[in-house]
Amino acid sequence: MNDVKDRVQAALSQTGEEPLIEWRSDRKGVLTGWCRLGEAALILPAAEALVGLEGRLSTITAYLTDSARQRGVREIAYHFDLDGTTLTVTIELPLEDARVPSLTMIFRNADWNERELMELYDIQVTGHPDPRRLFLDKSIEPAAFERLIPFSTFTNGAASKALWNKVMTMSGTEKAA
Amino acid sequence: MTPSIITLGPHQLALEEPMYFKVELEGDTVVGLDVMAGHVHRGMEHLVMKRNLYQNITLLERLCSLCSNSHPSTFCTAVEDIAGIVVPERAEYLRAIADEIKRISSHLFNCAIMAHIIGQGALFKNVMQIREIMQETKEAIYGNRMDLAANCIGGVRYELTPELSMYLGQRMELMKAPLDELYRIYTTDPAIRVRTEGLGVLPRQEAKDYAVVGPVARGSGIAYDVRKKSPYGAYDRLNFLVATETSGDVRARASVRLREAQESVSLIEQCLTRMPDGKSCADILPEIPAGETIAKSEAPRGELIYYLSTDGSDMPARLKWRVPSYMNWDALKVMLKGERVTDIPLIVNSIDPCISCTDR
Repeated sequence: MNDVKDRVQAALSQTGEEPLIEWRSDRKGVLTGWCRLGEAALILPAAEALVGLEGRLSTITAYLTDSARQRGVREIAYHFDLDGTTLTVTIELPLEDARVPSLTMIFRNADWNERELMELYDIQVTGHPDPRRLFLDKSIEPAAFERLIPFSTFTNGAASKALWNKVMTMSGTEKAA
Repeated sequence: MTPSIITLGPHQLALEEPMYFKVELEGDTVVGLDVMAGHVHRGMEHLVMKRNLYQNITLLERLCSLCSNSHPSTFCTAVEDIAGIVVPERAEYLRAIADEIKRISSHLFNCAIMAHIIGQGALFKNVMQIREIMQETKEAIYGNRMDLAANCIGGVRYELTPELSMYLGQRMELMKAPLDELYRIYTTDPAIRVRTEGLGVLPRQEAKDYAVVGPVARGSGIAYDVRKKSPYGAYDRLNFLVATETSGDVRARASVRLREAQESVSLIEQCLTRMPDGKSCADILPEIPAGETIAKSEAPRGELIYYLSTDGSDMPARLKWRVPSYMNWDALKVMLKGERVTDIPLIVNSIDPCISCTDR
């Protein structure tokens, strides 16, 4: 197990930083590693280093929690699988004009993950080969998780949209769309 | 020849959920694919942040019906990890039983649809009748055929009395011969082999590049199973083989699923034998502190991963999950390339697509 820790530490050192990795072991002995990079752009060399360890990109979580917002930042957590050990590498981005490099050249499956985070949050993924909407209709305003949107619009559901219009008309607060 | 583009939807693809494909064809050969998702997007990741951790158990179980137990059990594992809750040993076995029952039903449903697509009506009926043994078992134990409502934070909210344990053991005995026979039919019947062998091939390297998981990866020779790689619950005490094939075709993926269903029967029997007496849920539920964690499980379609961030309140600060189908869709570009347009439904079915899970 220490072997994985040493290899990850050595790999991430290639980014030019010496990241502090917190390792946790659960009751079954399954390891998870947690680290933060000093600069968002370092995610690219970090990903390159992890692919050298036969790492797999499990998923990417973008988020904007209240505590991060109070610090004036937003965060993205990249979750990598290393043969059963999960390493989460977190970066911070500014609230305005957030940009992050695409990992699609390194991990093909970053494609959908990055398309999805671009439609949910106000984050630009630079160098993405196909930055179209993934799930949300293009008529919906961008950064859906950062603004108030009627649920029926968000899900683009015809039945629930009809219900929403009926409720709004009855309440008299808004004209039916 | 100038390529033509056609749009295929759930009706043409024999899907029970909406997913649309733009398929580029040269003659009747597939040369390109674009997957158009989002038709059953329900804003679930938004909804979970508007509900407390307890309400989310119920909501997440309704994400999808075929892997409905995997979502609440993995979510509960994440909450338990942040709060340091120790799940009683008996509950770990009861969770494994619920997961394996769902796995058998899910795999048989996929194999049944495969028979339906290749025009084997009698086989379709036969597989669905065998699956009905599992559906009735779920009804008897959990009171439901799909959503089991088995999980709670700290353990499970169902119990197997000696009578129910004996019943479950008998039902597993009933499954053995039919599952052996199905494996024989799906791997040796000439009419099935001619439609499935060498079709929709995903070579091992491409499987790795596209990061596919579950039976799709194992059908291409990647022996990755979360139950072995990152053991959780009772799986560190249970014996089972990770089924793999090397041909990466439609036949290989069906073969993996049928062997996994056989292994699941064995796993349930082991659980019934080894499960200790005791509590099925932790006594005291502490307040959930601020923290972040990862929880993983092997859902019927492969690795399911949950990321949970909490802030000390009873609402999640962020809850994100990535389902196994998420990567498997993209790999269809490799599987479909060079295949005939008439084989598209069969190849799409072979990834056992879960659309409600994908869109969320």
